[in-house]
Amino acid sequence: MSDNLARAPRPNWESTPDTASVPEPRHIEIVSPRSQRHARPKIVYALSAVTGVAAIVLAQLLLSVGISQSAYEVSRLQASQVELGRTAESVTEDLVRVSSPQSLAANAEALGMVSNSNPVYLRLSDAAVLGAPASASGSSAGTASLVPNSLLVGVPLVTELPQTTGQGASLGGSQAEVPAAVAPVAPAAEPNALPTPTTR
Amino acid sequence: MASSSRSSRRRSAATILILLVFVAVFVVRLVDIQVVRAETLSADSLGNRSVEQPVYGARGDIVDTNGVVLAGTVMRYDITLSPRNAAEFDRTTDDGDVTVTVAQAAAEVGALTGQTGDEILQIISGSLAADKDSDYAVVVRAVDVSVFRAIDKLDIPWMYAEKNPGRVYPDGAVAGNLVGFVSSGGEAQAGIELGQDACLASTNGTETYEKGADGVRLPQSTVTTVRAKDGGDVVTTIDSDLQWFVQQVLAEQAVATGAAWGNVVVQEVKTGKLVAVADYPSVDPNNVNGTPDAEDRGSRAFTAPFEPGSTYKALTTASVLDAGAATPLSRVVAPYRYLPPNGANVNDSSNHADLNLTLTGVMIESSNTGMSKFGELISDQQRYDYMSKFGVGSASESGFLAEESGTLRPFEDWDNQTKYATMFGQGLTTTAIQVSSIYQTLANNGVRMPVQLVAGCRHADGSMTDVPEAVGTPVVSAAAARETADILEMVYQKAWLAKTWEIPGYRVGAKTGTAQMPDGRGGYTKGYLVSVSGFAPGDDPQYVVSVSLADPVKLNSSAASAPIFQEVMSQVLKKYRAVPSGATAPALPGTW
Repeated sequence: MSDNLARAPRPNWESTPDTASVPEPRHIEIVSPRSQRHARPKIVYALSAVTGVAAIVLAQLLLSVGISQSAYEVSRLQASQVELGRTAESVTEDLVRVSSPQSLAANAEALGMVSNSNPVYLRLSDAAVLGAPASASGSSAGTASLVPNSLLVGVPLVTELPQTTGQGASLGGSQAEVPAAVAPVAPAAEPNALPTPTTR
Repeated sequence: MASSSRSSRRRSAATILILLVFVAVFVVRLVDIQVVRAETLSADSLGNRSVEQPVYGARGDIVDTNGVVLAGTVMRYDITLSPRNAAEFDRTTDDGDVTVTVAQAAAEVGALTGQTGDEILQIISGSLAADKDSDYAVVVRAVDVSVFRAIDKLDIPWMYAEKNPGRVYPDGAVAGNLVGFVSSGGEAQAGIELGQDACLASTNGTETYEKGADGVRLPQSTVTTVRAKDGGDVVTTIDSDLQWFVQQVLAEQAVATGAAWGNVVVQEVKTGKLVAVADYPSVDPNNVNGTPDAEDRGSRAFTAPFEPGSTYKALTTASVLDAGAATPLSRVVAPYRYLPPNGANVNDSSNHADLNLTLTGVMIESSNTGMSKFGELISDQQRYDYMSKFGVGSASESGFLAEESGTLRPFEDWDNQTKYATMFGQGLTTTAIQVSSIYQTLANNGVRMPVQLVAGCRHADGSMTDVPEAVGTPVVSAAAARETADILEMVYQKAWLAKTWEIPGYRVGAKTGTAQMPDGRGGYTKGYLVSVSGFAPGDDPQYVVSVSLADPVKLNSSAASAPIFQEVMSQVLKKYRAVPSGATAPALPGTW
């Protein structure tokens, strides 16, 4: 429609039918004046407004219920976080205590290990032994702890722990449960490694 | 008619007036309360409801060079109660509500804290006797989490727990001599705890909470007024595993030989870092009262100077070599007794015929007379200057609390005997740290590195401050240091303890010392301080080990200290993977 809007088409007088000539039935209707029409709102508006208000009130109610519910949840979780933090701290304290050198040495000794500070090296490239190998004597440092640690008083050695089969209940207890499914794998040959005899 | 209307007008006027007066009174009162006295009143009201309590910042940790915690902070709890509210209460159990009396509650708490119920009742009554409105009394301090939880579970409405961080030393006496300890109130008392308190100290904050009329804390009312600030961590250069080993070996030998005390210093040659400083006897900082003698609670390696004796001859040798007055093969005749022209009287430890010794031989035989003949080749002032440069007479850079400087009197004040005695380590005192530092200098091509015990203060954001400077100072020339090291290697191979301290495969340089101990009244006691100082591997020295044992009554010679040197040095070489080179030390003849 690219026509110029100013160019209104002239009415075609000839083809317009003479309406006046057709008789029409008389039709009377009461028309409310404009002011009255405005003064009487439609019931649907009222309904929608009331529904809206109700919906807002309900939503607010639900929201505040939700918020206070979450507030309890938050407070409960915070309390449990504090509790867990305390547990973590006390467990860490225990762990640090048993990983002290005194505890490790006493446990190693209880398991039959002997300290040997004789430094000897095996050079892989030419299988040279550096240093003079000597077997460890049980009498070297560690037979009795001369470096006290009062935190370890009353802490049992691994060998004194009750033998339980519960998983992870004690250091030595879960051996029976370790599945034998892990087939012994020959260690991968290191570069420069010595040729190792395979035993079957 | 007119009079009645006038009286009614008067009545209404009066009513209005009265109303106005009332309103005015209320307004004045309102302004007074809401504006004039508002702050005081609201503070008062809050004061009635609210309780302020401290929030503790955590004191920093002391860690070893690998981050192993030597001293840490753990949360402990002070159990307190409100005496005026102590009354029987109802406890809900599975069988319905049960009334618990104060005595019952006290007995239950006592069973957990190790007190008797009566003791707790006495705390309540004693506190009420002092103040009948008493709202606060401490039942027990510093209980751990499990006790705190058990008490919490008792649900006693008038009993509360306050956080109170405690100090714990997970490794016990390992480095207890260095770390020090804090008092039960958390005040630093000794060692690094006190010396580095500026780094470790935390700032406490406060928090306020509100409580109801029954003394119960209102939920969600906690307001943090001042935020607590945690302290920084002190990173030391100590290796806790090695420290334990050294302490164990030292204690074993000290007990076996009946020594009064002893110490072992292990120092890194290239950096001057102390990797282990063991003392015997030592303290377990968790149980300070277990070490009754206060002198045993610190580190004698830093605080107890002694006359070093023959280990000091290495310093004299290096001085003479550096001054160009002699070579390792220069010859002297070492008699048993040497009477220099100035009137001094120098003896060797045992009677012997005149020996034709080189400088190397003098060191191997540890001859005082031979050393005197070399020492007198340079002036007293020269020797004094060398000693000062080696760090004798001044406290090291370690920054250890109350570190002693030792005694080195100015050379002008030396009497004739002292002039010679100072050549073989008598007439002056050094700490074990200073002796170690002398050997570190010799092993490090004559460059003395500052002694380091603390690597710095690490803050929460990971930044390090107070990092000590590690710039070495040349003391003697590299050639003189190397020649001295070669001589010490010959001493290690040839001296009478060669079999005792042998570490097969390695080149080691070492020297013994057996010095008389001063009795503190200008004379000497019968006891000896026996020592061994040395370094390894000889081809490229990495570590210095210096052992001192005071008055080992069962074995009064350096044979008592040599096994410690051997074991500790072996462990050090193994631990730090110092591979033996298999080469042999250059041979230097000791006699001619």
